[in-house]
Amino acid sequence: MARKRRIKKDEELNLVPIMNLVTILIPFLIMAAQFVQLAVIDSTLPAIGAPQPSDEKPDKPPLNLSLAITDRGVTVMGADAVLYPEGAPEVAEGEDRPPTIPCQSGGICTSVEDYNWVKLTAKLNLVKDEYPDEEDANVILVPDNHIKYEVLVSTMDAARNDPGKPGADGKARMLFPNVVIAGGAM
Amino acid sequence: MALKQARRREVEDGLNITSMMDMMTIILVFLLKSYSTQDISVAPSEDLELPVSSVKKAPEVAVNVVVSKKNIVVDGVPVLNLEHVPDEDNPGQKKLQVPEDERNGQLIESLLDELSKKAETAKDLGQQTGSDDHSFKGRLLIQCDKKLPFEVLRQVMYTAGQAQFSEFKFVVYKQE
Repeated sequence: MARKRRIKKDEELNLVPIMNLVTILIPFLIMAAQFVQLAVIDSTLPAIGAPQPSDEKPDKPPLNLSLAITDRGVTVMGADAVLYPEGAPEVAEGEDRPPTIPCQSGGICTSVEDYNWVKLTAKLNLVKDEYPDEEDANVILVPDNHIKYEVLVSTMDAARNDPGKPGADGKARMLFPNVVIAGGAM
Repeated sequence: MALKQARRREVEDGLNITSMMDMMTIILVFLLKSYSTQDISVAPSEDLELPVSSVKKAPEVAVNVVVSKKNIVVDGVPVLNLEHVPDEDNPGQKKLQVPEDERNGQLIESLLDELSKKAETAKDLGQQTGSDDHSFKGRLLIQCDKKLPFEVLRQVMYTAGQAQFSEFKFVVYKQE
């Protein structure tokens, strides 16, 4: 009886060395752990110099898509032929043309969420339908002086791809991923 | 008899490590999952809150410019302080700007000096090693606070352009 109990006692695993190992590993891993994932958005300076002359005559004028970002919304420029086939809407004299994508609250955008990013992506989808070439992937951002950086990043996000509309490869449809930031109004 | 019983209980009362091991194993697995070997790191602070973006591209090593609410830092070295001034367009509010005596029009002079030095060093390194991997490509990592007005960012980008940096990489938090 007594012998049987002793054998049972010997079977117990000695966990202390593993504990030592684990206690050393945990602080090390806590040091190396990163809880936020980083990413980068590529952008280039506007190219200086004359554009490359091309022998082929293009079928249609180049797109030159630009997005003007103000505190009243985002104006899509260079794509009037796509967005307004019958011509841009009339504007009463003395008034500025309203932005293509006004803020959700109507007047001056109060925060990043107030800009209508979904509608901007939908509009750019229309433009992409007309210019499906891979070469037409440039978009020029023209922000106002006091526009906050986060709004800029959100605009790039809205112009990059359309998560609601998967493309041929099953990923989100690429719209205009090549961002160039213009000098803006001086 | 009573004494014998008490002693036996004492023997069985050894520290039970098994449950602690369970916990440690779970923590270990969790930490291994969040283990990362990313090239760059940010020091989050009150003055530097990066925006969130849906972009997927992984960062790479380059000259690092941090524009926080307080100052501009190049590769860990503070270059100049920013100032808060009353905003003429929105009375009662303050805006962030580069002090006027620090810049020449759009050009931030102290930043230009620092970035030109970095560009020179990078070019020297590229020449000496002779490998394409180390040649100067004009890449610049820019970390900005999300509330930074575009005016300051444009001045930083213009200055970087003058110092022959032309490929900007804006560092953002990846969306979950």
